[in-house]
Amino acid sequence: MKKLDIEIYNKYKKLGRGNWGKDLSMWKMMYMGILYQRKDEEFTTILELLFNIFLDLPKARKEGKTIIMHPFNYGPEIFHAMNLEPLMQELFSVGLAPLHLNETYIDFSNKIGFGDNPTLCNAQRPLIGSFMQGAAPIPDLLFFLSTPCNSLAMTYQVFENLAKIPAFNMDVPYWAYEQQASEFYDDKTVEYMVKQIKDLISWLEQESKQKLNYENFQQTMKNVNQAREYILEFNELLKTVPCPMPSQAGFGNYLAMVTRGGTDDAVKATKWLRDTAVENIKNGIAGVPDEKIRIAWPYTHVFFDADLLTWLEETFKAVVIMDLLGFYQVLPHDTSTIDKCYESLALGTLDFSMVGTCRGPIEYYIEFLLNYVKDYKIDCVIMPMQFACKHAYAMARVTSEVVREETGIPVLIFGCDPYDSREVTSEAIRTRISEFLTQIVL
Amino acid sequence: MCMMEKIEQAIPLFNNWIANWKNEGKKVLGYFCSYIPEEIIYAADILPIRMRARGCTDTPMGDAYMTPTTCSFTRCCLELANRKQYDFLDGIISCNCCDQVRRLYDNLRYKTPFPYHYIIGIPGYVSNTTIDWFKHELSKFKKKLEYEFNIAISQEKLKKTIYMYNKSRTLLKELYMLRKRDNPPVSGTEIIKILLAGISIPREQFNEILELELKQINKKNGISDYRARVMLVGSMLDEPEYIGIIENLGGLVVIDSLCFGTRYFWDLVDETLDPLEALAKRYLSKISCPRMTDGHLKRAEFMMDMIKEFKVDGVIFQRMKFCPLWWAEIFMLRNKLKEDHIPFLDLEREYVLSGAGAMKTRVQTFMEILETR
Repeated sequence: MKKLDIEIYNKYKKLGRGNWGKDLSMWKMMYMGILYQRKDEEFTTILELLFNIFLDLPKARKEGKTIIMHPFNYGPEIFHAMNLEPLMQELFSVGLAPLHLNETYIDFSNKIGFGDNPTLCNAQRPLIGSFMQGAAPIPDLLFFLSTPCNSLAMTYQVFENLAKIPAFNMDVPYWAYEQQASEFYDDKTVEYMVKQIKDLISWLEQESKQKLNYENFQQTMKNVNQAREYILEFNELLKTVPCPMPSQAGFGNYLAMVTRGGTDDAVKATKWLRDTAVENIKNGIAGVPDEKIRIAWPYTHVFFDADLLTWLEETFKAVVIMDLLGFYQVLPHDTSTIDKCYESLALGTLDFSMVGTCRGPIEYYIEFLLNYVKDYKIDCVIMPMQFACKHAYAMARVTSEVVREETGIPVLIFGCDPYDSREVTSEAIRTRISEFLTQIVL
Repeated sequence: MCMMEKIEQAIPLFNNWIANWKNEGKKVLGYFCSYIPEEIIYAADILPIRMRARGCTDTPMGDAYMTPTTCSFTRCCLELANRKQYDFLDGIISCNCCDQVRRLYDNLRYKTPFPYHYIIGIPGYVSNTTIDWFKHELSKFKKKLEYEFNIAISQEKLKKTIYMYNKSRTLLKELYMLRKRDNPPVSGTEIIKILLAGISIPREQFNEILELELKQINKKNGISDYRARVMLVGSMLDEPEYIGIIENLGGLVVIDSLCFGTRYFWDLVDETLDPLEALAKRYLSKISCPRMTDGHLKRAEFMMDMIKEFKVDGVIFQRMKFCPLWWAEIFMLRNKLKEDHIPFLDLEREYVLSGAGAMKTRVQTFMEILETR
């Protein structure tokens, strides 16, 4: 691997120059900030992917491509297949968090009376504050899901209402848990999702004035499934003790699939991660040298504290195997016909990170975590719950009781705002984790 | 005993109406949301009563399991379940109406299980695709109910029940229409009491009471000593005292967009269709709550129409603390009212009435604003 040396750094710096347009000014600032922050890192395929995500948006704007904003829990395959430019909204709040730039927009959202943190999630709320200040990227179209939370669905509607952007909402069904027939979905569910995907395509064709090319669609789905295969292999490899990859690695798969799912870029990124894990195992390299603690992290990262996991690695020789988003576990599907491609897209939507575990009853989250703990030889579980994340926070306690009872593994739950360091500071979080690890786990 | 006394007797969580029903050896199920079709439950000879949590004053268990940043209604429900206050119920029916209620269902199952529980998946917007899905969900629910309680729900029974519920809806709408008068013969406080009674009195008897009550109210002298006509908008409100505070300060509540109010009864079920299809259509397409992601414009339109029809001077929003649905919805509705220069007051509240003093001050100020316009 080559270092992000001055030549590469300057190349990407140069690519970021020029006028990106007023509504992309914050997007540009975020790109430059991330580029600067990563200047001493190794230049990996994932870093390349990340830079290109930022650069592709102004490029798409210049080329007159239709830009469609979508949430963090939906793969953009169909958008890529239709040559639309997807913009994952939460990249904004996730990207601004470590730069501590979310706060301005959060405060502005407060000022105009749009919610507060325990009520509405700051993964989306800064969008409204930034829009009102002219700093939010303005897409041509808006797409969102009814899941995993009301907060997401409501904030997207507010944005739709304020910015007057045509929007499409997809309903992700809730399904009942039956002990005798614990099926994740039945034929009716898949048919329901396929119907909605067809409705979405009709809407996209109408709004973007572009027809779906079925060859492109099939190729896109083949790419998606190739990437899914790499990710499944990668997830298997992480079961190795010591874990062959550092704590942030799994998130790379998620990033690839949520922004570039269906493209060659995502195939390349997921393959690179898989290959790196294989290579590390072959060479006896651990993600965290002298690994002592293996942590399950069944929630999102604390995005404002970009060094938290490195601190865990260095201080406790602890590796976070994967976070909830990074634990992407969509099975590859048959893509031999267009009908099968629709089905694959539907199943991918139902199983997507956080959707699969959180769209239904608590049993599916519990089952996910129990398997995670057992399969990955976990020593402890850390759940840094977002205060406003009602659907997840309200199942943390029961889940922790079941995990403790069935595996004997200790669980730490604490509330915080992953997007705003002022709610619970980095120091407070580290103190809690330190106490937990030193007094209970070690 | 006058009608209003009969009605007030039906307001407590467990009351004589429910006791008498149970004494006949019949079942009672608690349900959580106005998106759950009561008709299917009642057609199974089971009394559906809307889940409430009056009488809950503190929520240590609710805070621990639901967390302190979920709405106090759900925390209170978990608390009362833990204190065996719902032991008269034979089960609960929930739905994915909001994140907090669906997780309450999970916590209830794990911490304070009921003899029977079921959750219905409700789509988030209206289209032919979602109506078809919802019909399928209702069909599953009907079958489960039949199996669990060993009872057959015939088409005829379901049709008859739909007719009965439609009758209630029509009578309630007639009652509401009386409030259009310059001097309405019924207050908002009385209305909420009638509506609350309706969710625990067996339907045939409720319709009889409603018909008599309607006749009596129609003859009453209208209320003229109010300072302003108010529309109340927001989420679940089952506390007559809350409306009483507004009305005691001169704000006569003449119309609402509330869970227990218009959103509960305004739209009829089409009696000419197949019953399950008709129920799926009605419940998905009714005046929506913000859980429906395609409904904001219709909700805003409904609010504006009601403001005109009922000659409303100002709108009071009441939203439960930590409710993301209503905060975002009210944010949008407020902008609409601002455009049309209609005064409004936005009140945040807990499920259990608290901070009445502060609320009085704000309502008092609002009344003065309305009076001086």
